Amino acid sequence: MTDGYVTADGRQIGPVVMEMKNITLRFGGVEAIKDISFDIRQGEIRAIIGPNGAGKSSMLNVISGFYVPQEGEVWYKGAPRPSMKPYEVAQQGIARTFQNIALFEGMSVLDNVMTGRLTNMKTGMFWQSIWKGKAEREETANREVAEKIIDFLEIQAIRKTPVSRLSYGLKKRVELARALAAEPSILLLDEPMAGMNVEEKEDMSRFILDVNDEFGTTIALIEHDMGVVMDLSDRVVVMDYGKKIGDGTPSEVRNNQDVIDAYLGVAHD
Amino acid sequence: MPEQLAFTIEVFLNGLMAGVLYALVALGFVLIYKASGIFNYAQGVMALFAALTLAGIIDGQVPFSHLINAILGTDIHHFGWHVPAFLAILLTMVVMIGLAYAVQRLVFRHLVGQEPIILFMATIGLAYFLEGVGDLMWGSDIKSMDVGLPQGLNTWIDDTTFNAFGYGFFIDNLDIVASIIAALLVIGLVMFAQYTKQGRAMRAVADDHQAALSVGVSLNFIWILVWSLAGFVALVAGIMWGTKSGVQFSLSLIALKALPVLMLGGFTSIPGAIVGGLIIGVGEKLFEFLIGAPFLGGATENWFAYMLALIFLVFRPQGLFGEKIIERV
Amino acid sequence: MAHTLVSADGPQSVPALLHRNAKQFANAPAYREKEYGIWQSWTWAQTRDEVEALALGLLELGANEGDFIAIIGRNRPYLYWAMMAAEMVGAVPVPLYQDANAEEMAYVLDHCGARFAIVGDQEQVDKVLDVQNQLTQFERMIYLDPRGLRKYDHAALDQYSAVQDMGRKARDKHIKELEARQAKLDYDSTGVMLYTSGTTGKPKGVVLSNRNIIETAKSSSAFDKLRQTDDILAYLPMAWVGDFIFSVGQALWTGFCTNCPESADTMHVDLREIGPTYYFAPPRVFETQLTSVMIRMEDASRFKKWLFDKFMAHARRVGPAILDGKSIGAMDRAKYALGELMIYGPLKNTLGLSRVRVGYTAGEAIGPEIFDFYRSLGINLKQLYGQTEATVFITAQPDGEVRSDTVGVTCPGVELKIAENGEVFYRSPGVFVEYYKNPESTADTKDAEGWVATGDAGFIEESSGHLRIIDRAKDVGKMADGSLFAPKYVENKLKFFPNILEAVVFGNGRDACTAFINIDLTAVGNWAERNNIGYASYQELARHPQVMDTIQSHVEEVNASIAEDEMLSGCQVHRFVVLHKELDADDGELTRTRKVRRKVIGEKFDDIITALYDGSPSVSTVTEVTYEDGRKGSIAATLEVRDAKVFADTRKMAAQ
Repeated sequence: MTDGYVTADGRQIGPVVMEMKNITLRFGGVEAIKDISFDIRQGEIRAIIGPNGAGKSSMLNVISGFYVPQEGEVWYKGAPRPSMKPYEVAQQGIARTFQNIALFEGMSVLDNVMTGRLTNMKTGMFWQSIWKGKAEREETANREVAEKIIDFLEIQAIRKTPVSRLSYGLKKRVELARALAAEPSILLLDEPMAGMNVEEKEDMSRFILDVNDEFGTTIALIEHDMGVVMDLSDRVVVMDYGKKIGDGTPSEVRNNQDVIDAYLGVAHD
Repeated sequence: MPEQLAFTIEVFLNGLMAGVLYALVALGFVLIYKASGIFNYAQGVMALFAALTLAGIIDGQVPFSHLINAILGTDIHHFGWHVPAFLAILLTMVVMIGLAYAVQRLVFRHLVGQEPIILFMATIGLAYFLEGVGDLMWGSDIKSMDVGLPQGLNTWIDDTTFNAFGYGFFIDNLDIVASIIAALLVIGLVMFAQYTKQGRAMRAVADDHQAALSVGVSLNFIWILVWSLAGFVALVAGIMWGTKSGVQFSLSLIALKALPVLMLGGFTSIPGAIVGGLIIGVGEKLFEFLIGAPFLGGATENWFAYMLALIFLVFRPQGLFGEKIIERV
Repeated sequence: MAHTLVSADGPQSVPALLHRNAKQFANAPAYREKEYGIWQSWTWAQTRDEVEALALGLLELGANEGDFIAIIGRNRPYLYWAMMAAEMVGAVPVPLYQDANAEEMAYVLDHCGARFAIVGDQEQVDKVLDVQNQLTQFERMIYLDPRGLRKYDHAALDQYSAVQDMGRKARDKHIKELEARQAKLDYDSTGVMLYTSGTTGKPKGVVLSNRNIIETAKSSSAFDKLRQTDDILAYLPMAWVGDFIFSVGQALWTGFCTNCPESADTMHVDLREIGPTYYFAPPRVFETQLTSVMIRMEDASRFKKWLFDKFMAHARRVGPAILDGKSIGAMDRAKYALGELMIYGPLKNTLGLSRVRVGYTAGEAIGPEIFDFYRSLGINLKQLYGQTEATVFITAQPDGEVRSDTVGVTCPGVELKIAENGEVFYRSPGVFVEYYKNPESTADTKDAEGWVATGDAGFIEESSGHLRIIDRAKDVGKMADGSLFAPKYVENKLKFFPNILEAVVFGNGRDACTAFINIDLTAVGNWAERNNIGYASYQELARHPQVMDTIQSHVEEVNASIAEDEMLSGCQVHRFVVLHKELDADDGELTRTRKVRRKVIGEKFDDIITALYDGSPSVSTVTEVTYEDGRKGSIAATLEVRDAKVFADTRKMAAQ
């Protein structure tokens, strides 16, 4: 068993933390994912790419527990994961963002980031209600983590601003902050650059790389913008029509004939 | 001080006290509506049910005694003890939490993602069901409620105002206590929502279900939590109303008074429920005193609140504090 | 040397002042910084310890007396301490503009021959690493924020806190040496070297002695009665002499507290939270704040706006007089007090200026209505006139004698004289020692008797004794008919309109004046939004006919007011264009302090100037631009040239 590898830029990648084994997902008669297997290793940036409708989002939703596959198993930290609710998956240390942004619009940025800490709060409801001693200490510690992340993502200036008043690009960043606040072992990003202009995309890429570098967070992201992905990720899974058509380093994938065909739109037969 | 002015102030104060109770019932609606989008028609019946249960437990009544006697041919009605009020309130709360759990587990869990109208119909069903169960459990006779709250004329206010203005204000001790308790309850709820983990999770669910799931919040747990909180609020309202006018079926009708309060304050706003309740309480009492009784032949209290709500619906459909309704294309 | 004042008593160096404060104000706050959402604070005693630890660390790294240590980054307590630590070890701190490009940075680092640089974060580390191979004497870099730097080669790179730890460990080894080096510092040793941004040519290193720093801090603190309990917000570039004197010189002298914002973006929030009592901002900042207030009032409810207008009108009438301590009727006073309660107080609080006791603006002329707006609110905003070579202070307005068109009376210890051509000269204890490695420039600027040429033309108003500045001395020229040409005077009048961000007036040696205009995107953009005018870019908005009409009316208004001035009536703007791009420091059109570089602009937009004078109705041009990341591109545009109405000199007409 090989335990990890070293990336082109010299980062040590660890053992497998998550493995998808022969996943098949159907909606009624439609097969959104057909018998797909791949793994995610500790500390790497893993991308899932493919044209629109390839099943990328479905894959992410399987990982985060929003969809339950009809066949196949998800292995997490060396054991098969039983069927779980999305909130239970989140409690296991898998945080995610959404393509269309799902923030708590009525709350401030800080409150949003603090909700990311919910899974890390252990104090029971009784102490929470009294809100003294233990609960108070916990609140302070959590606030510290939240503030470090706010600092890291450079959103101090909007800390107290209600999310509904922010621009699209900033909302995406706040959503990333909330996911990071959970100190996740795997961070799932659903099209983090969708709808952004060039400058915002560059910022977001930098933040993703910085997060991985600074916190060693394992990141799995889906994206249909090939260029961005190739610069960011260590290994790439390529999907098309629900099937896996490629898996490897960006340069391997780039030279894969099936991938080239899929992106150039060669007719499927 | 001219007498007319003194009367008006007295009416105003009494209106304020009545308003507090309206606000309390409306609060129960808002809690559930915000977190789950369900308009809970059964809120009034929950108050009745809570009051019945509390009165029954205090009295040491045997639940379902009619049923038991009919089936087994026995003739038991009472355990023969009296439960202290504090303990009885705790026990009632446990019953209300059990009810919340059962409602979520047996009814609404199966209705996730259904149209609001379906959910609303389900709460109507729940209301009739609860009313029936209440009857069956505790009997249909009118009960008195006594948990040791002070009642009757507050002599201190009476004396002081008499000495000051030459006219003694009639203010009921129960109203004063009710106002204080309601205020504490509201402050407590707001602090809970603002500063605790569960409160934060509750606000998260109220804001966006999908996002709440992604940060590890169990929707089921939060729904049980808000139904329990609504049950707690219903219990408090039931105690107040029951102490004042006895535990009887008409108690469930206070839910209807909460409707105009919600239209005024907005369905999603906790401060709205409070301000709306106070406005309606004061408004209907003052209107009756100043206009209704002298010019309209009285009894305006029955319809004033609805008329006010109607006016509001025309000019500000989202209520005083409600979020602006924007139709998105 | 012809210094007029020599103080023999009291601390004679910046480190000596620090030691005095650590004893005298041991537990008073010296520095605060907002980090992770909380204000962290250090007392004077703690500050001394932090500085000393860093100084000992620098000794361990081998810093020598006379070395130059570059300091680059945004305002942070740690970097102020770095300056003090440098002085402690007998080295000279050289703060650099953090937004300088690599070329500018390389020039300065090479010119002073810095051996060390103490920098804020990765961005600056990268910049210095980029140019390091051009530098012969550069050795090591110390950084504050470790983010993103973990994988860098640390052979010549240390973290700030690691250097301090190093220093604390080596205390016994170096403390004697450190004390000895500090004992050698006196009034004549160099305290700091600051590079002037320079409107022309390469930056020059202005050497300031401890005398310059301490004497200036002492007299200016006395002039404005600064207190130990005062608070300032340090947000202007650390390389600028003003920030050095406020945040180091005066802070050390009076022992007040310097507060650093969390980041540039949070400046306004932090300003509100700190509520400084002593505050400096360039006119641009006051202008931006006023614009944003006005924009918000446009969106406010009708009642609120009515209330605002009503009370502001009253404030304009009596506010400045109340501030100057003149007697005002009881009714007006009562109405002003009501306004304070309802409008002025809340507004000052929003602006973060409610505690300001002494406020200054300088660097550029400030629009009279902007200036009066703040004063009418009861904010003691004043003007000063100064430059790096004078250690800031030349003239300043005393309390109670404040006007928007003068720059005040001479500061204590300053002498002033006006040359025949109108150029202003001064002499003071703050006069700089020299330009580093540039004796010719030093001689050009400072004569043997210590008089320094300011390069500004001005005159002393007879009635008040206040100095008035017209323009840069070399920019004051002659028109073809021999009449006076003062471009800046006209440009300032144009810039007082909120819609106009920048203006450049031409006309030296010509028959008539013409102008380039930059619109203010915030103000004009807001107007466009209110009037449902869509636009995709600055360029599109700038050439909108209605915008052109508005600008034309502004130009004509200015012409009318210039026509009233006999001396300058020839400076009326006959033709103008609204430029297709904003003038930018990255393109070399402005200095880093946003002063217009007339010559560069004249050469770059030669074709447009030709069109302004040959009567053509429009001109097509292509301009090269530099983006923020250093890439270059170009924009093409066709500009409309407009004629503006000019007015005959009203007084001359009357005389005829």
